[in-house]
Amino acid sequence: MRKASQLNVPARVVDPALESLFDVHEATLPNGLQVRLLANHQAPVVSLYTFFQVGSRNERPGITGISHLFEHMMFNGAKKYGPKMFDKTLESNGGRSNAYTSHDMTVYYDDFAADALETVLDLESDRMRSLRISQETLTSEREVVKEERRVRVDNDITGIMDEELGTLVYKAHPYRWPVIGWMADIENITREDCQEYFRTYYAPNNAVLYIVGDIDPKKTLALVRRYYGDIPRGPAPLKVIDAEPEQKGERRALVRHPAQSPALMIGFRGPAAREDDTFTLDVAQYVLTKGEGSRLVRSLVYEQKLAVSIMLDWSWRIDPGTILFYLELKPDSDPQKVEAALYAELEKMAREGVTERELQKAQNNLRSDHMRELTTNSGRAHALGHYEALLGDWRRLLSLPSSYTSITNDMVKAVVAKYFAPERRSVVTLLPAPSEA
Amino acid sequence: MASRKSPSLKTSVKSSLKSSAARAVKGPVRAIKRATRKVAASARTASPARKEATSTGALKLPTLHESTTSSGLKVIAAERGPLPLVSVRLILRAGSATDPDGKHGLADFTARLLRRGTRRLTAQQIDEAVEFVGASIGGGVSEDVMSVSLTTPAEHFAQMLGILGQLVRDPVFPQSEVDDARERALAQFANDLDDPSVIADRAMVRALWGDHPYGHDVGGSTRTVSTFTRDDVVRFHQERMGPKVAMLVVVGAVKPERVAAAAEEAFAGWEGGPDAAPVIPPLKKMPGAGRVLVVDKPDQTQSQVRLGGPGFRMGHEDYFPATAMNIALGGGFTSRLMNEIRVNRGLTYGVSAWFDAMQADGVYVLSTFTKTASTREIIDVALAEIGGVREKGIKPRELTDAQAYLAGLYPLRTETNESIAGSIADTRLHGLGDDWVEKFRDRLRAVTPKQVTAVAKKYCYPQPPVVVVLGRADEVKKQLKGLGPITVVPASEYE
Repeated sequence: MRKASQLNVPARVVDPALESLFDVHEATLPNGLQVRLLANHQAPVVSLYTFFQVGSRNERPGITGISHLFEHMMFNGAKKYGPKMFDKTLESNGGRSNAYTSHDMTVYYDDFAADALETVLDLESDRMRSLRISQETLTSEREVVKEERRVRVDNDITGIMDEELGTLVYKAHPYRWPVIGWMADIENITREDCQEYFRTYYAPNNAVLYIVGDIDPKKTLALVRRYYGDIPRGPAPLKVIDAEPEQKGERRALVRHPAQSPALMIGFRGPAAREDDTFTLDVAQYVLTKGEGSRLVRSLVYEQKLAVSIMLDWSWRIDPGTILFYLELKPDSDPQKVEAALYAELEKMAREGVTERELQKAQNNLRSDHMRELTTNSGRAHALGHYEALLGDWRRLLSLPSSYTSITNDMVKAVVAKYFAPERRSVVTLLPAPSEA
Repeated sequence: MASRKSPSLKTSVKSSLKSSAARAVKGPVRAIKRATRKVAASARTASPARKEATSTGALKLPTLHESTTSSGLKVIAAERGPLPLVSVRLILRAGSATDPDGKHGLADFTARLLRRGTRRLTAQQIDEAVEFVGASIGGGVSEDVMSVSLTTPAEHFAQMLGILGQLVRDPVFPQSEVDDARERALAQFANDLDDPSVIADRAMVRALWGDHPYGHDVGGSTRTVSTFTRDDVVRFHQERMGPKVAMLVVVGAVKPERVAAAAEEAFAGWEGGPDAAPVIPPLKKMPGAGRVLVVDKPDQTQSQVRLGGPGFRMGHEDYFPATAMNIALGGGFTSRLMNEIRVNRGLTYGVSAWFDAMQADGVYVLSTFTKTASTREIIDVALAEIGGVREKGIKPRELTDAQAYLAGLYPLRTETNESIAGSIADTRLHGLGDDWVEKFRDRLRAVTPKQVTAVAKKYCYPQPPVVVVLGRADEVKKQLKGLGPITVVPASEYE
């Protein structure tokens, strides 16, 4: 048995190989903007990420989806660079940009040729300082987002099921609604709603800037001060209340939709990212579904032949998240039978734990996957932002391998018994409905 | 962060050795992106990079070391740090274009079965040995090649290469594994019918290529896969896979001498397979040109739209002018198509066009989607934009912007061991020359407006293109009058 730390919590010992890669320069501007800079001269390119601490978690009914719609609006013109000029300027200088919105945050990123750095800072600071939201662009962008909703949710089985599951797992918390928002809300968000959102959540004190790549950190920090220094600080955003009541039993929903096969999406209420159990659940996730030799793939796909594929998604979130299983079945599969087989595997793991070899295999894989995540500038910048936003400090990425290696079989057993209990479960079953042809 | 790609004509190289992680697994939408553009299918066509006005940092590519095993397998090694990881890619000229008649999907099916048991190791022992150390072996098939990829912590490189060698040389294809794999593949085909973009892509491949060896989905179809026997797989392995049509590329934190030694150990005595790579003819005539194919899926609220016409093979002299032209027309967020269709009209979330250049020939395709009611409008706007470039070319400024965009981002292609291994494999496969990566930006910048005008006339659908629409036929069909003869088929045609 490997030794657990005395408190039986994951350790935090810095990995020397990682530490040598992360000579990060940090600063906080007087207006509250936090800056993290990391040089990497392997190729003449740079990645810049801006993390805003706002996501669908900060929304309310009636304007669900505004975080995401607003994310689109950030590309539609500011004071200096008007409509269409952001992309035009960036692309014609050898760069590209994109963004994503999650329940917890909104993240903008640019990859560009190293000599375009100052242009990119000018573009990014312009839209943080003085975004212009016109009725015309809002009207047009709203249609783009509606098409996005149609492609991701309305015409996609996993999208439909995921939306159903959210409302089952969460009764009070804003995680209840989908990040993209309800269609009627998307249709009704106003220009004023957007402006209010911008004032509240896009102030420099609600953002962290990460620049990784072929840069000189000192010179870069001076440029950041010059471009961002005069943006005024905003009010502190409202705290999000987690009013989620305790779940007192299994919850179920049935979705009928034209489909070839039934399918199952099952969510268990998990911990918040900052809780220690998060890391232990990562280990459990790897033992259960990482690779062909993992327990559930071997058992449900290869031995019992009940599922075509199985996925486990344990995505860390600021507030307690969902441990989610998605099982793609065969046309003649019996979902009840599949469910029973899944629960039997989970119960077995809660009862008997994992083998020493399974534990070590999970730890080996978590380490090499973590390394792979850090091979590119973009991966490094994203990792800095991701761990800082969810764990409170980017340095946690340096000690992550040690957090995993300190996890014991007893910890895995306890966590599996706790989180995969039936009363934490919500189940969405998709049954094929005849097409309305 | 999960996010789906916007529709692409093909799922590039399908991950097929890992059935649990294959294209089938579609995560629910958690974090959603502004847009996911098609990053032109694979290493083949993608081509980011930079502009004349801005400077050009040199690309530091690792030196290539070549060797050949005693069995005749060519090995290329490139040492690269700093992380203690290694990426390996073994490519074989046994892509889906070599599927026998009536057995479409056999190359892909064989690739999936390689890791389900060898003479010395059972499937479980393979999984255990590879996955225990944090390595992974994946594989897949494109039209031109079968590839088996390995990534591993550097300290386990030789042992993992040994296992990869066994998978390729000595698979036993147990009868029960063949039966199970066939059953899973058939269930997968059934479930694919629920994915509108997959079905639209499949219909498009058939309309573009017809009976040509590129004219079927790399996975085959229900009809062909249901006939697969163990003998089929054994024969494909014997006849199509061997050292003379293979190449091993290794990039990462390992010395070239160690690579050569490990490759010798893993592949000594490997024999069989053909003496030379198959020769695939170019496409004679695009069967769906000038025709409209409506794939009926009555539950849809959105239509998937594909347009396509002739392109060129990889390595063709039109590659750089055509690539630059396409950036202006259908590449980045500022392309004409994106501007007109998404930004100005809000008709879609994603639209892109790309040249799909393969070994023997290629196509120029557009992919997008829109709500059912605006199906005709999106096609008309797209055709008008493409026609505009065909008739008048692009503005000089659009060309320099496109060159700057591609050249500036090109170094991103040299960021990972995997992408470098992919580039090396592609340049060798297509005979592009070892200076391909280093000269790429110069060649791109050398493109002239005159060259762009010429390729625009040639590839921007001078003849009526293939039109494929997947959606509600009862509403869509009446919108499409005048685009060409319309054929309506049920989605189940593409199972």
